[in-house]
Amino acid sequence: MIKLLASLFIIGASVLLGNEYANNLVNRPRYIRFFKNALQILEAEIVYSQETIKESLHAVSNQIPEPLATLFQHIADDIQHDQDELYPIWEKHIHVFYRSNPIQVDDKEILLQFGRTLGQHDVIQQQKYIRLAINHLERTLKEADDKHHRYGKMARSVGVLIGIFIVLLLL
Amino acid sequence: MTLDTSVLFQIAGIGIIVAMIHTILKQMGKEEYAQFVSLIGFIIVLLFVLDSISDLFQQIRSVFFLQG
Amino acid sequence: MELFEVISIGVIASVLFLLIKDKQPTIAFLVVLFTVIYFFLFIMQYVQEILRLIAYLGERANINSVYIKTILQIIGISYITEIGANIVRDAGLKSVAVKIEMVGKVFILILAIPIFQSLIETIINIFPIT
Repeated sequence: MIKLLASLFIIGASVLLGNEYANNLVNRPRYIRFFKNALQILEAEIVYSQETIKESLHAVSNQIPEPLATLFQHIADDIQHDQDELYPIWEKHIHVFYRSNPIQVDDKEILLQFGRTLGQHDVIQQQKYIRLAINHLERTLKEADDKHHRYGKMARSVGVLIGIFIVLLLL
Repeated sequence: MTLDTSVLFQIAGIGIIVAMIHTILKQMGKEEYAQFVSLIGFIIVLLFVLDSISDLFQQIRSVFFLQG
Repeated sequence: MELFEVISIGVIASVLFLLIKDKQPTIAFLVVLFTVIYFFLFIMQYVQEILRLIAYLGERANINSVYIKTILQIIGISYITEIGANIVRDAGLKSVAVKIEMVGKVFILILAIPIFQSLIETIINIFPIT
């Protein structure tokens, strides 16, 4: 009886792991798309409304869905407290975001790269940099979509199978 | 002294599971991992079988006075 | 009856073998190997009974225990070579199986040498050659 229960626990745990991995694969393209939207909005705010970065970030955070909204909100809030450079703030928040969300190192690097240019140039230059970042995100988006299609189902079934395998080994 | 027959089913089950993981990994184009998985499965099953082989030889030695 | 146990295990093992033969031939071979070992282990307990009987009879008949022991060892060697050769033959390596059998035969000869020697000595004692 206890053996059966333990087996079920092991299988359940590995199923959960597989699902978690698959969910990451599903969510990554979605988050990259959100970031792309956010950058587009930011571009519009900077180029056409000619607002400060803080106000632009606030505007962005009002227009995009959740986890990213809080990210931009936090960055905008931190600018208020701290009058130094923008990049350390940006870097800190992106790091925090990276740790708790399913984006990969590549995406983080692109965002950090972009953060380094933010607020350093005039409007035209800034627009170019935003375009560049969007292009890079496009590339990783394609890759993430590809991965999702290829490994999405596999992750789930491999999770189940590895659970059964471990149970068989310990039987 | 009766042996545990469940080991037979265990071996077959590991074989089937390993075969399934192998097939899935191969379909997804991860040939090297697929090879690795089947090697691991083989080694694990081999450990089971080796255990019973050593049992058998030990028994034969004690039955036929073949010590030393 | 334990015979049915053996038969049913054989049937089950062959079904399992067919099931994984296509995908994982090596593991399928290990299944066969395990069943073979299981059968030999199974048979060994009965062989033990028989050997105990033989040893007892020899003791009662006052035969020198060295001879009984040698005979039993010879039987044991033939069993082991049989098992090994069978396992190797199941894997499809007939030539290696033949070599294992050959080594077994040579070892049986080596074991038989003391008995042979004492036989020759007895004969020489009976008909002293001058």
